[in-house]
Amino acid sequence: MSTERNVEKITLRVAEIMIEELKLEDVTPATFDPEIDLIDEVGIDSMDLATVALVLRDEYAIRIDEDDYPKLTSIRLISEYIDNKLKSVS
Amino acid sequence: MNDCPSNQEWKFSEILADPKIRARWEKVRKYFFMRESTYDMANRCNIRCEGCYYYEGDKQFAEENRDPAAWRELMRSEKARGITYVVLAGAEPSLVPELCEVCFQEMPLGTIATNGLKFIPESINYKIHISVWGNDATSFEIRKARNMLLRQIGNYQGDPRAVFVYTFTRNNIDQARQVAGILAENGCKLTFNMFSAPVGYDGQLRHTVSSLNQTRKIMTDLLEEYPASVLFSHYSAVAHTHQSGLHDLYSCSYPRMNPSTDIGLGRSFRQYRTDLTWNRAVSCCVPDTDCADCRHYASGSAVVTARLFRHAADPDTFKSWLDYVDTYLAVWVMGYEKGDNLCNHLVLPPGQDVF
Repeated sequence: MSTERNVEKITLRVAEIMIEELKLEDVTPATFDPEIDLIDEVGIDSMDLATVALVLRDEYAIRIDEDDYPKLTSIRLISEYIDNKLKSVS
Repeated sequence: MNDCPSNQEWKFSEILADPKIRARWEKVRKYFFMRESTYDMANRCNIRCEGCYYYEGDKQFAEENRDPAAWRELMRSEKARGITYVVLAGAEPSLVPELCEVCFQEMPLGTIATNGLKFIPESINYKIHISVWGNDATSFEIRKARNMLLRQIGNYQGDPRAVFVYTFTRNNIDQARQVAGILAENGCKLTFNMFSAPVGYDGQLRHTVSSLNQTRKIMTDLLEEYPASVLFSHYSAVAHTHQSGLHDLYSCSYPRMNPSTDIGLGRSFRQYRTDLTWNRAVSCCVPDTDCADCRHYASGSAVVTARLFRHAADPDTFKSWLDYVDTYLAVWVMGYEKGDNLCNHLVLPPGQDVF
Protein backbone atom coordinates (compact mmCIF):
# COMPACT_ATOMS: atom_id res chain seq x y z
CA MET A 1 0.00 0.00 0.00
CA SER A 2 1.34 3.46 -0.85
CA THR A 3 2.33 5.76 2.00
CA GLU A 4 -0.35 8.22 0.94
CA ARG A 5 -3.09 5.61 1.11
CA ASN A 6 -1.76 4.30 4.38
CA VAL A 7 -1.79 7.76 5.97
CA GLU A 8 -5.32 8.25 4.65
CA LYS A 9 -6.45 5.03 6.28
CA ILE A 10 -4.79 5.95 9.55
CA THR A 11 -6.37 9.40 9.34
CA LEU A 12 -9.86 7.92 9.20
CA ARG A 13 -9.16 5.57 12.08
CA VAL A 14 -7.65 8.36 14.22
CA ALA A 15 -10.73 10.49 13.56
CA GLU A 16 -12.94 7.57 14.56
CA ILE A 17 -11.01 7.08 17.83
CA MET A 18 -11.06 10.79 18.56
CA ILE A 19 -14.83 11.00 18.08
CA GLU A 20 -15.46 7.91 20.20
CA GLU A 21 -13.07 8.69 23.05
CA LEU A 22 -13.88 12.37 23.36
CA LYS A 23 -17.58 11.97 22.55
CA LEU A 24 -17.41 14.62 19.84
CA GLU A 25 -20.71 15.49 18.22
CA ASP A 26 -21.70 16.82 14.78
CA VAL A 27 -18.72 15.24 13.07
CA THR A 28 -18.00 11.87 11.41
CA PRO A 29 -14.64 10.30 10.50
CA ALA A 30 -15.28 11.28 6.89
CA THR A 31 -16.12 14.91 7.68
CA PHE A 32 -13.43 15.47 10.34
CA ASP A 33 -11.01 17.94 8.76
CA PRO A 34 -7.55 16.39 9.27
CA GLU A 35 -5.92 19.83 9.19
CA ILE A 36 -8.09 21.43 11.84
CA ASP A 37 -6.20 22.54 14.97
CA LEU A 38 -7.42 20.24 17.72
CA ILE A 39 -6.45 22.63 20.49
CA ASP A 40 -7.57 25.99 19.11
CA GLU A 41 -10.53 24.93 17.01
CA VAL A 42 -11.87 21.72 18.56
CA GLY A 43 -11.07 22.70 22.17
CA ILE A 44 -9.18 19.54 23.07
CA ASP A 45 -6.94 19.80 26.15
CA SER A 46 -3.86 17.94 27.35
CA MET A 47 -5.84 15.25 29.22
CA ASP A 48 -7.91 14.52 26.11
CA LEU A 49 -4.80 14.25 24.00
CA ALA A 50 -3.14 11.93 26.53
CA THR A 51 -6.22 9.68 26.49
CA VAL A 52 -6.22 9.50 22.71
CA ALA A 53 -2.47 8.83 22.69
CA LEU A 54 -2.98 5.84 25.01
CA VAL A 55 -5.66 4.37 22.77
CA LEU A 56 -3.52 4.90 19.67
CA ARG A 57 -0.56 3.25 21.39
CA ASP A 58 -2.73 0.16 21.84
CA GLU A 59 -4.25 0.27 18.39
CA TYR A 60 -0.97 0.49 16.46
CA ALA A 61 1.34 -1.19 18.98
CA ILE A 62 3.79 1.71 18.78
CA ARG A 63 5.79 3.49 21.42
CA ILE A 64 4.70 7.11 21.88
CA ASP A 65 7.00 9.39 23.86
CA GLU A 66 5.37 11.52 26.53
CA ASP A 67 7.09 14.56 25.06
CA ASP A 68 5.71 13.86 21.59
CA TYR A 69 1.95 13.70 21.94
CA PRO A 70 1.39 17.34 23.06
CA LYS A 71 2.84 18.40 19.70
CA LEU A 72 0.38 16.28 17.71
CA THR A 73 -2.22 18.97 17.32
CA SER A 74 -4.04 17.86 14.18
CA ILE A 75 -5.25 14.54 12.87
CA ARG A 76 -2.85 14.92 9.94
CA LEU A 77 0.12 15.30 12.32
CA ILE A 78 -1.02 12.31 14.36
CA SER A 79 -1.44 10.12 11.27
CA GLU A 80 1.97 11.02 9.88
CA TYR A 81 3.54 10.39 13.29
CA ILE A 82 1.95 6.93 13.44
CA ASP A 83 2.92 6.15 9.84
CA ASN A 84 6.55 7.08 10.58
CA LYS A 85 6.56 4.94 13.71
CA LEU A 86 5.16 1.97 11.81
CA LYS A 87 7.74 2.39 9.06
CA SER A 88 10.56 2.50 11.58
CA VAL A 89 9.54 -0.83 13.12
CA SER A 90 8.80 -2.67 9.86
CA MET B 1 0.15 -7.68 46.59
CA ASN B 2 1.85 -6.08 43.63
CA ASP B 3 -0.26 -6.27 40.50
CA CYS B 4 2.39 -5.62 37.89
CA PRO B 5 4.58 -8.51 36.81
CA SER B 6 8.03 -7.27 35.90
CA ASN B 7 8.93 -6.72 32.25
CA GLN B 8 5.34 -6.98 31.04
CA GLU B 9 4.29 -4.15 28.75
CA TRP B 10 0.67 -3.42 29.47
CA LYS B 11 -1.79 -2.13 26.94
CA PHE B 12 -4.11 0.56 28.22
CA SER B 13 -7.08 -1.63 27.27
CA GLU B 14 -5.66 -4.49 29.35
CA ILE B 15 -5.37 -2.22 32.38
CA LEU B 16 -8.94 -1.04 31.86
CA ALA B 17 -10.18 -4.64 31.60
CA ASP B 18 -10.42 -4.68 35.40
CA PRO B 19 -14.00 -3.50 36.06
CA LYS B 20 -13.01 -1.54 39.18
CA ILE B 21 -10.31 0.33 37.29
CA ARG B 22 -12.62 0.97 34.35
CA ALA B 23 -15.37 2.32 36.61
CA ARG B 24 -12.99 4.67 38.43
CA TRP B 25 -11.45 5.85 35.14
CA GLU B 26 -14.91 6.66 33.76
CA LYS B 27 -15.75 8.46 37.01
CA VAL B 28 -12.71 10.73 37.07
CA ARG B 29 -12.42 11.47 33.36
CA LYS B 30 -15.75 13.32 33.45
CA TYR B 31 -13.84 16.10 35.21
CA PHE B 32 -11.08 16.50 32.66
CA PHE B 33 -12.88 19.63 31.42
CA MET B 34 -11.72 21.58 34.49
CA ARG B 35 -9.31 24.40 33.67
CA GLU B 36 -8.18 26.47 36.62
CA SER B 37 -6.79 29.83 37.42
CA THR B 38 -6.13 31.40 40.82
CA TYR B 39 -6.92 34.80 42.28
CA ASP B 40 -5.58 36.78 45.23
CA MET B 41 -8.70 38.35 46.73
CA ALA B 42 -7.18 40.83 49.19
CA ASN B 43 -3.81 41.97 50.42
CA ARG B 44 -4.93 41.71 54.06
CA CYS B 45 -5.10 38.85 56.50
CA ASN B 46 -6.43 38.64 60.05
CA ILE B 47 -3.40 36.61 61.18
CA ARG B 48 0.23 36.43 60.13
CA CYS B 49 1.81 32.97 59.81
CA GLU B 50 5.48 32.13 59.62
CA GLY B 51 6.33 30.89 56.14
CA CYS B 52 3.17 32.25 54.47
CA TYR B 53 3.83 32.38 50.73
CA TYR B 54 1.53 35.40 50.23
CA TYR B 55 3.82 37.72 52.14
CA GLU B 56 6.86 36.80 50.05
CA GLY B 57 7.74 38.56 46.79
CA ASP B 58 6.01 41.67 45.49
CA LYS B 59 2.42 40.42 45.08
CA GLN B 60 1.70 41.47 48.68
CA PHE B 61 2.15 45.11 47.58
CA ALA B 62 -0.56 44.97 44.90
CA GLU B 63 -3.42 47.36 45.61
CA GLU B 64 -6.77 45.76 46.28
CA ASN B 65 -9.44 46.09 43.66
CA ARG B 66 -12.65 46.04 45.71
CA ASP B 67 -15.02 46.84 42.87
CA PRO B 68 -17.50 43.94 42.44
CA ALA B 69 -18.20 45.04 38.86
CA ALA B 70 -14.52 44.71 37.97
CA TRP B 71 -14.42 41.22 39.48
CA ARG B 72 -17.58 40.24 37.61
CA GLU B 73 -16.05 41.42 34.37
CA LEU B 74 -12.85 39.50 35.12
CA MET B 75 -14.79 36.28 35.78
CA ARG B 76 -16.73 36.69 32.54
CA SER B 77 -13.56 37.21 30.54
CA GLU B 78 -11.98 34.22 32.26
CA LYS B 79 -14.94 32.07 31.29
CA ALA B 80 -14.67 33.34 27.73
CA ARG B 81 -11.07 32.14 27.47
CA GLY B 82 -12.02 28.67 28.72
CA ILE B 83 -11.46 28.81 32.49
CA THR B 84 -13.97 26.57 34.29
CA TYR B 85 -12.56 26.47 37.81
CA VAL B 86 -11.32 29.17 40.19
CA VAL B 87 -9.20 29.08 43.33
CA LEU B 88 -9.70 32.14 45.51
CA ALA B 89 -6.77 32.53 47.87
CA GLY B 90 -4.37 35.15 49.30
CA ALA B 91 -4.22 36.82 51.53
CA GLU B 92 -7.55 36.07 53.28
CA PRO B 93 -10.64 35.76 51.03
CA SER B 94 -13.10 35.65 53.96
CA LEU B 95 -12.42 39.38 54.47
CA VAL B 96 -14.06 40.13 51.09
CA PRO B 97 -17.14 37.86 50.92
CA GLU B 98 -18.90 40.23 48.50
CA LEU B 99 -16.15 39.60 45.93
CA CYS B 100 -16.20 35.84 46.50
CA GLU B 101 -19.97 35.95 45.96
CA VAL B 102 -19.52 37.66 42.59
CA CYS B 103 -16.99 35.03 41.53
CA PHE B 104 -19.37 32.23 42.51
CA GLN B 105 -22.25 33.81 40.59
CA GLU B 106 -20.16 33.82 37.42
CA MET B 107 -18.06 30.68 37.89
CA PRO B 108 -19.86 27.90 39.77
CA LEU B 109 -16.88 25.59 40.35
CA GLY B 110 -14.11 26.57 42.71
CA THR B 111 -12.39 26.57 46.06
CA ILE B 112 -11.62 29.20 48.67
CA ALA B 113 -8.45 28.85 50.73
CA THR B 114 -9.00 30.38 54.18
CA ASN B 115 -7.70 30.28 57.73
CA GLY B 116 -11.27 29.51 58.79
CA LEU B 117 -11.53 32.17 61.50
CA LYS B 118 -14.28 34.11 59.73
CA PHE B 119 -17.26 32.19 58.35
CA ILE B 120 -17.84 32.42 54.61
CA PRO B 121 -21.57 32.68 53.80
CA GLU B 122 -23.23 29.45 52.67
CA SER B 123 -24.51 31.17 49.52
CA ILE B 124 -20.94 30.85 48.20
CA ASN B 125 -21.07 27.16 47.39
CA TYR B 126 -17.38 26.59 46.72
CA LYS B 127 -15.21 24.10 48.53
CA ILE B 128 -13.68 25.79 51.58
CA HIS B 129 -10.13 24.73 52.48
CA ILE B 130 -9.31 25.54 56.08
CA SER B 131 -5.63 25.67 56.90
CA VAL B 132 -4.37 23.86 60.00
CA TRP B 133 -0.70 24.05 60.97
CA GLY B 134 -0.50 21.81 64.04
CA ASN B 135 -2.26 21.70 67.39
CA ASP B 136 -3.47 24.85 69.08
CA ALA B 137 -0.21 25.42 70.96
CA THR B 138 1.73 25.33 67.69
CA SER B 139 -0.88 27.49 65.94
CA PHE B 140 -0.47 30.11 68.63
CA GLU B 141 3.29 29.97 68.26
CA ILE B 142 3.50 30.33 64.47
CA ARG B 143 0.14 31.97 63.65
CA LYS B 144 -0.45 34.01 66.82
CA ALA B 145 -4.07 32.87 67.03
CA ARG B 146 -5.58 31.27 70.12
CA ASN B 147 -7.91 28.21 70.10
CA MET B 148 -7.62 28.09 66.36
CA LEU B 149 -8.91 24.56 65.72
CA LEU B 150 -11.85 25.04 68.08
CA ARG B 151 -12.85 28.23 66.28
CA GLN B 152 -12.39 26.66 62.85
CA ILE B 153 -14.55 23.67 63.82
CA GLY B 154 -17.11 26.01 65.35
CA ASN B 155 -17.45 27.78 62.01
CA TYR B 156 -17.44 24.78 59.70
CA GLN B 157 -18.58 21.63 61.54
CA GLY B 158 -21.16 19.83 59.40
CA ASP B 159 -20.55 22.13 56.43
CA PRO B 160 -20.30 20.01 53.25
CA ARG B 161 -18.04 22.63 51.70
CA ALA B 162 -15.34 22.30 54.33
CA VAL B 163 -12.10 20.36 54.09
CA PHE B 164 -9.48 20.93 56.78
CA VAL B 165 -6.00 20.98 55.27
CA TYR B 166 -3.27 19.92 57.69
CA THR B 167 0.09 21.30 56.61
CA PHE B 168 2.97 19.15 57.76
CA THR B 169 6.07 21.09 58.72
CA ARG B 170 9.23 19.59 60.12
CA ASN B 171 8.01 20.37 63.63
CA ASN B 172 4.37 19.34 63.80
CA ILE B 173 4.37 15.79 62.45
CA ASP B 174 3.23 13.97 65.59
CA GLN B 175 0.58 16.60 66.35
CA ALA B 176 -1.33 15.40 63.30
CA ARG B 177 -2.59 12.42 65.33
CA GLN B 178 -4.21 14.67 67.92
CA VAL B 179 -5.66 17.02 65.30
CA ALA B 180 -6.99 14.17 63.12
CA GLY B 181 -8.65 12.62 66.16
CA ILE B 182 -10.39 15.88 67.06
CA LEU B 183 -11.54 16.49 63.49
CA ALA B 184 -12.80 12.91 63.10
CA GLU B 185 -14.73 13.16 66.40
CA ASN B 186 -16.41 16.26 65.05
CA GLY B 187 -17.26 14.69 61.70
CA CYS B 188 -14.91 16.98 59.74
CA LYS B 189 -13.09 16.04 56.52
CA LEU B 190 -9.31 16.29 56.50
CA THR B 191 -6.61 16.21 53.86
CA PHE B 192 -2.86 16.81 53.96
CA ASN B 193 -0.48 19.44 52.66
CA MET B 194 3.28 19.77 52.89
CA PHE B 195 5.08 22.90 53.96
CA SER B 196 6.93 24.08 50.88
CA ALA B 197 9.50 26.75 51.62
CA PRO B 198 9.14 30.18 50.07
CA VAL B 199 12.14 31.39 48.07
CA GLY B 200 14.91 32.40 50.49
CA TYR B 201 13.18 30.87 53.54
CA ASP B 202 15.72 29.78 56.12
CA GLY B 203 13.47 28.86 59.05
CA GLN B 204 12.75 25.73 61.03
CA LEU B 205 9.72 24.52 59.08
CA ARG B 206 11.53 23.26 55.97
CA HIS B 207 11.46 19.46 55.59
CA THR B 208 14.41 17.10 55.70
CA VAL B 209 14.67 13.56 54.28
CA SER B 210 13.96 12.23 57.75
CA SER B 211 10.88 14.42 58.29
CA LEU B 212 9.58 13.46 54.85
CA ASN B 213 9.81 9.77 55.74
CA GLN B 214 8.11 10.34 59.10
CA THR B 215 5.36 12.35 57.44
CA ARG B 216 4.69 9.61 54.86
CA LYS B 217 4.31 7.08 57.65
CA ILE B 218 1.89 9.16 59.68
CA MET B 219 -0.15 10.09 56.59
CA THR B 220 -0.75 6.42 55.77
CA ASP B 221 -1.40 5.59 59.44
CA LEU B 222 -4.08 8.28 59.69
CA LEU B 223 -5.58 7.26 56.35
CA GLU B 224 -6.07 3.76 57.74
CA GLU B 225 -7.18 4.94 61.18
CA TYR B 226 -9.77 7.49 60.00
CA PRO B 227 -10.94 6.33 56.54
CA ALA B 228 -14.24 8.19 56.82
CA SER B 229 -12.56 11.51 57.63
CA VAL B 230 -9.25 11.50 55.81
CA LEU B 231 -9.38 12.33 52.10
CA PHE B 232 -6.07 10.96 50.89
CA SER B 233 -4.41 7.96 49.24
CA HIS B 234 -1.20 6.02 49.57
CA TYR B 235 0.04 7.46 46.31
CA SER B 236 -0.79 11.00 47.49
CA ALA B 237 1.53 10.29 50.43
CA VAL B 238 4.26 9.03 48.10
CA ALA B 239 4.02 11.94 45.67
CA HIS B 240 4.10 14.60 48.38
CA THR B 241 6.79 13.16 50.66
CA HIS B 242 9.27 11.94 48.08
CA GLN B 243 12.79 13.20 48.62
CA SER B 244 12.49 14.88 45.23
CA GLY B 245 9.94 17.67 44.95
CA LEU B 246 6.98 17.68 42.57
CA HIS B 247 8.86 19.45 39.80
CA ASP B 248 11.69 16.94 39.74
CA LEU B 249 9.24 14.04 39.88
CA TYR B 250 6.58 15.17 37.44
CA SER B 251 7.93 18.25 35.65
CA CYS B 252 5.68 21.06 36.84
CA SER B 253 3.23 22.22 34.19
CA TYR B 254 2.47 25.66 35.65
CA PRO B 255 3.73 28.60 33.54
CA ARG B 256 6.39 29.61 36.03
CA MET B 257 8.31 26.40 35.33
CA ASN B 258 6.87 25.51 31.94
CA PRO B 259 7.72 27.77 29.01
CA SER B 260 5.36 25.98 26.61
CA THR B 261 2.12 27.71 25.71
CA ASP B 262 1.00 24.90 23.39
CA ILE B 263 -1.49 23.10 25.60
CA GLY B 264 -2.60 22.51 29.20
CA LEU B 265 -1.73 24.71 32.18
CA GLY B 266 1.16 26.36 30.35
CA ARG B 267 -1.40 27.74 27.94
CA SER B 268 -4.39 28.62 30.10
CA PHE B 269 -3.32 29.12 33.73
CA ARG B 270 -3.05 32.59 35.21
CA GLN B 271 -2.43 33.76 38.75
CA TYR B 272 -4.12 37.10 39.34
CA ARG B 273 -3.00 39.50 42.00
CA THR B 274 -5.54 41.44 44.00
CA ASP B 275 -5.22 44.38 41.61
CA LEU B 276 -6.38 42.00 38.82
CA THR B 277 -3.06 41.98 36.99
CA TRP B 278 -1.08 38.84 36.24
CA ASN B 279 2.42 38.00 35.12
CA ARG B 280 3.14 34.78 33.24
CA ALA B 281 6.71 34.57 34.52
CA VAL B 282 5.58 34.10 38.13
CA SER B 283 2.28 32.30 37.55
CA CYS B 284 1.72 29.14 39.56
CA CYS B 285 -0.63 28.05 42.32
CA VAL B 286 1.78 28.99 45.14
CA PRO B 287 3.87 31.88 43.77
CA ASP B 288 7.17 32.65 45.49
CA THR B 289 7.52 29.07 46.68
CA ASP B 290 10.96 27.59 46.10
CA CYS B 291 10.17 25.27 43.16
CA ALA B 292 12.78 22.72 44.20
CA ASP B 293 11.05 22.35 47.58
CA CYS B 294 7.47 22.46 46.29
CA ARG B 295 5.32 19.57 47.55
CA HIS B 296 2.22 21.69 47.92
CA TYR B 297 -1.14 19.90 47.71
CA ALA B 298 -2.59 22.42 45.27
CA SER B 299 0.35 22.06 42.95
CA GLY B 300 0.27 18.27 43.03
CA SER B 301 -3.43 18.21 42.26
CA ALA B 302 -2.67 19.63 38.84
CA VAL B 303 0.85 18.40 38.22
CA VAL B 304 0.39 14.72 39.16
CA THR B 305 -3.02 14.56 37.47
CA ALA B 306 -1.57 15.95 34.24
CA ARG B 307 0.83 12.99 34.06
CA LEU B 308 -1.85 10.48 33.07
CA PHE B 309 0.20 9.10 30.20
CA ARG B 310 3.20 7.95 32.22
CA HIS B 311 1.01 6.38 34.91
CA ALA B 312 -0.82 4.16 32.42
CA ALA B 313 2.08 1.71 32.61
CA ASP B 314 0.72 -1.17 34.69
CA PRO B 315 -2.37 -1.78 36.87
CA ASP B 316 -0.78 -0.79 40.18
CA THR B 317 0.68 2.46 38.92
CA PHE B 318 -2.55 3.36 37.16
CA LYS B 319 -4.67 2.50 40.22
CA SER B 320 -2.39 4.73 42.29
CA TRP B 321 -2.89 7.58 39.85
CA LEU B 322 -6.66 7.04 39.87
CA ASP B 323 -6.63 7.17 43.69
CA TYR B 324 -4.68 10.40 43.53
CA VAL B 325 -7.14 11.97 41.07
CA ASP B 326 -10.16 10.66 43.00
CA THR B 327 -8.71 12.27 46.14
CA TYR B 328 -8.02 15.57 44.45
CA LEU B 329 -11.55 15.74 43.03
CA ALA B 330 -13.11 14.96 46.43
CA VAL B 331 -11.02 17.72 47.99
CA TRP B 332 -11.65 20.35 45.31
CA VAL B 333 -15.07 19.72 43.75
CA MET B 334 -18.42 20.24 45.52
CA GLY B 335 -20.57 17.13 45.38
CA TYR B 336 -17.81 14.77 44.28
CA GLU B 337 -17.75 11.70 46.53
CA LYS B 338 -14.47 9.91 47.02
CA GLY B 339 -14.47 6.16 46.38
CA ASP B 340 -12.46 3.55 48.28
CA ASN B 341 -8.81 3.64 47.29
CA LEU B 342 -7.91 0.99 44.71
CA CYS B 343 -4.26 0.63 45.71
CA ASN B 344 -3.52 0.38 49.42
CA HIS B 345 0.22 0.11 49.36
CA LEU B 346 3.03 2.44 48.40
CA VAL B 347 3.89 2.53 44.71
CA LEU B 348 6.91 4.42 43.41
CA PRO B 349 6.40 7.31 40.99
CA PRO B 350 7.22 6.27 37.40
CA GLY B 351 10.95 6.25 36.75
CA GLN B 352 11.92 6.36 40.46
CA ASP B 353 13.57 3.62 42.47
CA VAL B 354 13.44 5.18 45.96
CA PHE B 355 10.78 6.98 47.96
